[in-house]
Amino acid sequence: MKTDPSALVRVTGIVVATVLLQVSGVGSIELLGGNFDLIPIAIAAIAYCAGSVPGAVTGFAAGILLDLMVGREVGASALPLIALGYFVGRYRELRDPAHGLTPVAVVAVSTAIYLVAVAAVAFMLGLDALISLLVVRDLILTVFLNSLLALPLFWLIGRTLRPSLHIDPFVRRRRRGRPIESGPIGLRGLEV
Amino acid sequence: MRDGRNVIRRRRAILAGLIVTSVLLLTAYFGEGSDGGVLHSISSGVQTALSPIEEGVSRVFKPVRDFTSWVGDTITATGQNDELRAEVASLREQLAASEVAARDAGQLREIAKLDRESGYPVESNPVTARVILQPPTVWYSTIQIDKGESAGVEVDQPVVTAAGLAGKVTATTGSTAIVTLITDASSAVSAQIMPKGLRGIVKPQVGDPDDLLVDFIEKDATIEEGDTVVTSGSSSSRFESLFPRGIPIGEVTDVDPAEQDLYQRVHIEPNADLRKIDFVRVLTAEPADEVGV
Repeated sequence: MKTDPSALVRVTGIVVATVLLQVSGVGSIELLGGNFDLIPIAIAAIAYCAGSVPGAVTGFAAGILLDLMVGREVGASALPLIALGYFVGRYRELRDPAHGLTPVAVVAVSTAIYLVAVAAVAFMLGLDALISLLVVRDLILTVFLNSLLALPLFWLIGRTLRPSLHIDPFVRRRRRGRPIESGPIGLRGLEV
Repeated sequence: MRDGRNVIRRRRAILAGLIVTSVLLLTAYFGEGSDGGVLHSISSGVQTALSPIEEGVSRVFKPVRDFTSWVGDTITATGQNDELRAEVASLREQLAASEVAARDAGQLREIAKLDRESGYPVESNPVTARVILQPPTVWYSTIQIDKGESAGVEVDQPVVTAAGLAGKVTATTGSTAIVTLITDASSAVSAQIMPKGLRGIVKPQVGDPDDLLVDFIEKDATIEEGDTVVTSGSSSSRFESLFPRGIPIGEVTDVDPAEQDLYQRVHIEPNADLRKIDFVRVLTAEPADEVGV
């Protein structure tokens, strides 16, 4: 496995910038009663562009950095982000969707799963408090707000990673059409 | 075919390796305890190294935060206008009563020769700090401030805002500190409901920072909506938090006697808006005396 130093620098830059922005600025911007969460969007975008293994590794790195920055249990955020990066990457590798709005759906599902996974890890680590139903409202609002940022952030991260990617994310692709049906001897009009 | 299998094996091995590493890190972190260790030291180092950048980013985003906050507040304020008029009238009456009570208290203080002042604990040497990092999820309510050990900030010191109790310091570096808010799931604050002085434990509801709960209030006790809740000055042995007596926490919004058999559960709204804190004060010295309320 070869590691391109420029790709490493780009991904590191995206991860550090995203985590810093999230905890120092964007996370406290309240819109419609909810908050943006840039971290799952960035990990989903990197995994979508680069694949499952880079997605999982980036998720791990982002999670560790986040935990170290906020002084939380180291590894608690890494677990959901590894899973997020891996499964978004696998989705891209297996299905290779070509629709222009796929990032919106990917971000919506990723954010929802990420937030549920964060809650699950919090319970796993011994959460001892009552849970308000407003958690569900927050989850829905964050999913909605993140979906609004999906296309611009996927574009931005795609542009940043573009020189290091095997497949150019900006080349317009079309899903291969279904093969034209033909007869057993491969000539149209002579089907049996 | 063999290459394909190798790719799959390698991918799965990397995934398993990352998960195992995360779990090991978590285990090691818990193993270190609160006294610190390698991971705590690394965390402190990262916080110290990044704090200037975090402060810069936080300042850059402040106008955006203020704008979105202003929009939200304006929408909310329109609906609260009538409610606030009624509250102002009620507060005027309370003010008059408080002034009488304050004069009486002054006379009593003189008689008892007590060294007390109204408001926050005296001689607590408060250090004002800017919030440079906000909690990333509702499941953890911690903030980072730009004052640390060099300013006299230490673990377990109380943190307040202009409106009331915010939380306590749970970790420090030379130039920064982590503050666990009273809305964090791990928080528990011994409190008294005034004026009757009923004692209970204030605990949060995860996901709703505007609604705290006071548990362990006797079922027969009468509590009025609008009663003030303050720190009681004693610590819960389980959580080892220690706040000086008399720091305002919030106001009673609802009492639900049916929720528990032996105790009633009191809902309070915190005085401090813990989602929009820009500055806090850390009480860096133990007060010479309790406050007068």
